Amino acid sequence: MRETLTVARFAGRLYWRDRVVLTVGLALPLGLGIGLPVMMHRLGATADTRTHLGVLAMVFTIIAFQQAAITLTARRDQLVAKRMRATGLGDGSILAGEIANIALQAVVQVMIISVALWVMGVLPPPAQPVLFAAWVVVGAIVLAALGAAFTVVVPRAELAPVLAMPFFMLAGLGSGGFGPLIELLPGWVAQVLGWWPGIAVADALGETYTGGTDYLPAILRVGAGVILAALVIHRAFRWEPRR
Amino acid sequence: MTAITVRDLSRSYGGFEAVRRVSFEVARGEIFALLGRNGAGKTTTLELLAGFQRPDAGQVRVLGLDPVKDRRAVRRSTGIMLQEAGFFPDLTVNQTAESWRAFVPSARPAFEALELAGLLQKAAVKVRQLSGGEKRRLDLALALLGRPKVLFLDEPTTGMDPEGRRATWEVVRSLADEGTAILLTTHYLDEAQQLARSVAIMDKGEIVTTGGMAEILAAGTGRVIFEALPGIDPSSLPLPVRVEGGRWVCSADDPDLAAQTLLGWAAAQGVRLRGLEVRTASLEELFLEVGTDA
Ligand SMILES: Nc1ncnc2c1ncn2[C@@H]1O[C@H](COP(=O)(O)OP(=O)(O)O)[C@@H](O)[C@H]1O
Ligand SMILES: [Mg+2]
Repeated sequence: MRETLTVARFAGRLYWRDRVVLTVGLALPLGLGIGLPVMMHRLGATADTRTHLGVLAMVFTIIAFQQAAITLTARRDQLVAKRMRATGLGDGSILAGEIANIALQAVVQVMIISVALWVMGVLPPPAQPVLFAAWVVVGAIVLAALGAAFTVVVPRAELAPVLAMPFFMLAGLGSGGFGPLIELLPGWVAQVLGWWPGIAVADALGETYTGGTDYLPAILRVGAGVILAALVIHRAFRWEPRR
Repeated sequence: MTAITVRDLSRSYGGFEAVRRVSFEVARGEIFALLGRNGAGKTTTLELLAGFQRPDAGQVRVLGLDPVKDRRAVRRSTGIMLQEAGFFPDLTVNQTAESWRAFVPSARPAFEALELAGLLQKAAVKVRQLSGGEKRRLDLALALLGRPKVLFLDEPTTGMDPEGRRATWEVVRSLADEGTAILLTTHYLDEAQQLARSVAIMDKGEIVTTGGMAEILAAGTGRVIFEALPGIDPSSLPLPVRVEGGRWVCSADDPDLAAQTLLGWAAAQGVRLRGLEVRTASLEELFLEVGTDA
């Protein structure tokens, strides 16, 4: 645990030094997450929690899933992961620390977005703020872990953003982040896309806004995501580039 | 006391045997060199010893532990200078060493490791601005952070200037004097000669010769070379010589002894051996020697 925190702190320092991360990984989600609902609000459309939650599903997908895939493929390809393994650190601590850092950055951003929308009077606050925060943490962790697992199919670090992009699009489509497009498609599409943990978590967050109690579907889908990520990482995670 | 034991170690990639039935031992305080050309299997051997890879067959013990199963315990008392590993280019040398200290139990102060590696005056420089040789020194500094009992050095002086190489050799020697077991891979014969008392020569995944550095060098072909002696029949010399252009070459297991014999003969004849060179075997010559009967 102490090692995981050490790695997470180190990864956090690197994160805040990285200008690409700060512009793409921070400005974009914040702009999208706050800007879109505010704009809709200003235009007089009902900026309902639905839009907000749809955008959050996308934001989770970029800043947790995609960012984890980018960071960990870069660590692998630059042979930094290998160097970290050459120390006394355990593999689990290194991975958990990197995932924890990315999840933390995602939590902070999602919180900023949600609080900003509330403070600006665009949205009411969640009915169950503590549960809301808990689901944000869960979502950030499961998506960052899936991003780590996703590195298995990324041949080179430069390809990580591109390969992760479809998940962002599908998250936007399935969650309604792009508007109610999904309603024009057959019902099974929404059902399939709903297995994406970003969308599952957005559904759970919706319950916390309304004060609902129907968390079981989200728990099942997020649990499946966690198991999948753990299995893939355990079986196939690569610490070094192919040669 | 033995720090590293390797018995019949083998590792293949696909059908290709990168390491074949390699065996050797390294004692505490000993510097052992794995000498071989590129592709000989040195890095693979070292990574198997450091637990980065799993052997297909054979046994490895580092400080009595299995480097794969007990990897963390082994790593805690081991320092590794990998042949290739990355840095964060935007961190300074000191930031890098400080960050890495957090990953190593009971680490030395960063300045101490940097000083050992001769990098203290570059402490404030960003890693991206270091030369190849300086990066190698930073590699060494990081490997020394944990005060290792066993040190793995994979081609430690590649890219260093002569001064850097000598300084690194100095550090390696003093670490061995303090009791560190050091396994070094190199393709420089002079590096092995400077540092190691024992050496194993690897070729195509196998150890082709192993033993004391001095004996191995002696067993390889040394040469005594001098300018042709006008008016003298080469076959009248006390040792066989071949004519190579304007020079005569005498091959001998012990070139020093051969040179003495030839000089004694020349003195008795009243001739001078001009341009006299005494050469021990080069790595390539050692390979020609051992490679043919391997
Ligand atoms: N991961 C790998 N996959 C396939 N072949 C490899 C791999 N690692 C090493 N090899 C091959 O094994 C041989 C030995 O490599 P290596 O141990 O790096 O040699 P050295 O360090 O002596 O130069 C080389 O022919 C190399 O191409
Ligand atoms: Mg090598």
